[in-house]
Amino acid sequence: MFYNRPTMPAPSPDVTAALATLRDRWGAAAPRRFGTDAGGTESIGGTGSIGGTDAGGTVGALATVPLPDEPRPVPAADGSVVSTGFAALDAILVPGGVPRHVGLSLRGDHSSGKTTVALRLVAEAQAAGSIVAWLDLTRGLDPVEAVARGIRLEWLIVLTPASLDEGLAMAGSLLQGRTVDLLVADLAIERPAAGRPRSGGSTADRIHRLAALARRAGVLLVVLQPPGLPAGLTGALAESTGLHLDLARRSWIRLGRDVVGQRTEVAIARDRSGPPGRRTEVRILYAEGGEADRRLGDERLLGDERLLGDERLLGDERLRQGTPLTDRPSHHFGNSTHAPAPPPLAASPPPTRPVALYLVPERTAGPRRAAVDRGSRARREPGRTGARDPARDVARERPSARP
Amino acid sequence: MSLGSAHRLAPEAAFLDPDLSADAATLERALDRLSTFSPGVAGETDANHPAIGRIELQLDGLERLWGPEPILVRRVVEALEPLLPGPPRAGIAGTRFAALIAAGDAAADAGAGAADAGAALRSVPPGTEAAFLAPFPAALLSGDSDVRARLARLGLRRIGQVAEIPRSALVARFGSEGALLHARARGEETDPFRPRRAPERLAFSLPIEPPVEDLEPLRFILHRLVGVLADQLAGRGMAAADAHLRLTLDPTFTRRAMVPGGPPIVEYRQRLPEPTAEGAAIERLLFARLERTPPSAPVDRMELELAGVVPAAGQQLSLFTPQAARTSRLGWQLARLALAFGDDRIRRMELVDPEASLPEARWRWVAVGVGDGVEPDRVVGDGTGLDR
Amino acid sequence: MTRLLREHPPIQVEFGPDGLPIAIRWDGRWERVEVCTRWRIDESWWRDPIARDYFKVVGSRWLALVYLDRVDGTWHLERLYD
Repeated sequence: MFYNRPTMPAPSPDVTAALATLRDRWGAAAPRRFGTDAGGTESIGGTGSIGGTDAGGTVGALATVPLPDEPRPVPAADGSVVSTGFAALDAILVPGGVPRHVGLSLRGDHSSGKTTVALRLVAEAQAAGSIVAWLDLTRGLDPVEAVARGIRLEWLIVLTPASLDEGLAMAGSLLQGRTVDLLVADLAIERPAAGRPRSGGSTADRIHRLAALARRAGVLLVVLQPPGLPAGLTGALAESTGLHLDLARRSWIRLGRDVVGQRTEVAIARDRSGPPGRRTEVRILYAEGGEADRRLGDERLLGDERLLGDERLLGDERLRQGTPLTDRPSHHFGNSTHAPAPPPLAASPPPTRPVALYLVPERTAGPRRAAVDRGSRARREPGRTGARDPARDVARERPSARP
Repeated sequence: MSLGSAHRLAPEAAFLDPDLSADAATLERALDRLSTFSPGVAGETDANHPAIGRIELQLDGLERLWGPEPILVRRVVEALEPLLPGPPRAGIAGTRFAALIAAGDAAADAGAGAADAGAALRSVPPGTEAAFLAPFPAALLSGDSDVRARLARLGLRRIGQVAEIPRSALVARFGSEGALLHARARGEETDPFRPRRAPERLAFSLPIEPPVEDLEPLRFILHRLVGVLADQLAGRGMAAADAHLRLTLDPTFTRRAMVPGGPPIVEYRQRLPEPTAEGAAIERLLFARLERTPPSAPVDRMELELAGVVPAAGQQLSLFTPQAARTSRLGWQLARLALAFGDDRIRRMELVDPEASLPEARWRWVAVGVGDGVEPDRVVGDGTGLDR
Repeated sequence: MTRLLREHPPIQVEFGPDGLPIAIRWDGRWERVEVCTRWRIDESWWRDPIARDYFKVVGSRWLALVYLDRVDGTWHLERLYD
């Protein structure tokens, strides 16, 4: 395969550290950076480039994510710990992220932010080389926003089973193949069909088995628990996962009349690696897509709203706890600026097949051939046949993406 | 030889007019019969072609079905004897040219080889083609009379003498033809095997006696079929992109009226995640199809065809995404899962127009399974119109 | 992140004097809401028309995107912000 190597600008220290982490793990196969013009972004096959400047000169779908101001705990270089994508959250987790072997459960009401946290976790895992499966029981996965969060759709397998039990069976089969590194189970409340009892004991057993299989396979299992899950299932999840995070929205973030984000408190309800009770707050900005999201980059326009009964307070009130708002202005949408950029991933060129040359294998033993002469005619001299098979070049298209 | 000369030599002989169409039909039947032994069969049936009467059989992978080569050849000869006007001569070697010379030389070994009554066999041990060819006339190396004359003028009477001459010297004398002469004399393959069937198809079938319905024995048969075809693919440096499995059902169990089209056949068409000659992977995928939709009656014949044959290419690893190194393995696993659970259960998403006003227009599903449906694609020959 | 529901469940809506939604019933509960933004789309009017009035609504429990299907007059939930 032939390709051109453009001139690379000097990378920032964080990018250098992240790339070094990937090189430690993947060696020559680790992502590398292409060059880009100063202040510009170059998206090669990525879909997350919405415009705006990029101080780091990174490329790909993650190019829109701003680089962090503050240093953050770097998860273990051996890939045993996955960053959540939120520096403040990583900081309160003992190994600096989510360990692969313990299983993670995210609990929270609607609009608590648990899905955003799961998506950022997936983006981080993919940036580190993971293939991810998403068990979409809620039928709610939005690929446009997933890409905006830094997710590569080509490395995201989506399972849409008809029931929880079927989904657990599919997930189990997938884990046994040991080709995915992270499985997100986005659970939904099942409405039992007429005459059929609600998921009960057997489902709980399946969850236990799935969690055990994930641990043995070294796959990080992340479960999104909706409100109102039956007690049997919540109990099974509590026993099967070692890290439980409770998410609760504390305030909306408004831009004028519009609600463009939220602040969510994340509390460690259970942690096999450390004491429970630690908590922090993360800021989440929603991605609607299009030019309107540019406005989210101007902090002056954003205001926190806390709903105290029917009274609303608008303004840029600083939080009493959690990470101070020292985020740099963001020119990009869709990510909390508490979420440091995952290591930039140099977008891969379209995977292609080389031009195939048909070479007749030369083997001392040779393919065995048999010739049979009918025998009733005079033996003919062999004619020379110079057959040659045509070469074929097969290229695979990359998914189309919004530039 | 003219007819007049022949009449003078044998005045008592009866001379018949040639029946070229009958000769061609005979050879076609012989080739059809040989197709039951190997998917790699070739032969010339055109009576005006100098190679008329020559039949070639690719033996790669067949020993697991028919036994060692001498036994295999005996079975082939036995199968051809009723069709051919005379006892055939058989030659086995590592190159087409050497096998042809061996077949012509087989008459000299009649009775001394492993073949028995009526058939002569000359088998050239692997790697000894050059030594076997050495004593034969150099004129056999080419069908071009001018080349033969020049070889004679140069004093090259035996193939062994040609093999001893440096390749560059032969090229200097004969051009590109010289390279072929050199390679052929040294026992190297110069003429790729061109099977009788369309080159992009490779098919083989086995009868199942008695008919079976259980999946395990069917898998055993499938394993043998896949093994033969995969070996032949690999031997040619090719890979297949599609697999078609056809099961002939025992008509006595189907309770359907026999129709002129023959017994019912269930066909499974399976697109492979990528072109491959890896038999184990093909077998696993096809068996997953059988498990998902097993036949409804005992099977008395199984046919496997590998289609979409292309030159095999090495896997291209991306240097930029670690995930790409696992693409092949992931693709096969997802294909099996899609077969087991349904193409609409396990998929990827792909952005189409992220700025479309309707959210449903912004993206689409991308299938990861490559089957053409979980159900068998067709049931033919039973007259009930069950084509799907 | 939002949950883009691929099947848009029907909802019940209560309106204020200005005709805008002030409460929505979904998942078995009524929720008082405020309209943040609204817009209209019209697609494919020449064949299968799609005509929707979208409302981004915020309540105490959730932020959601709902729409009025002007073709059949029904209300649906399309997106939950989470």
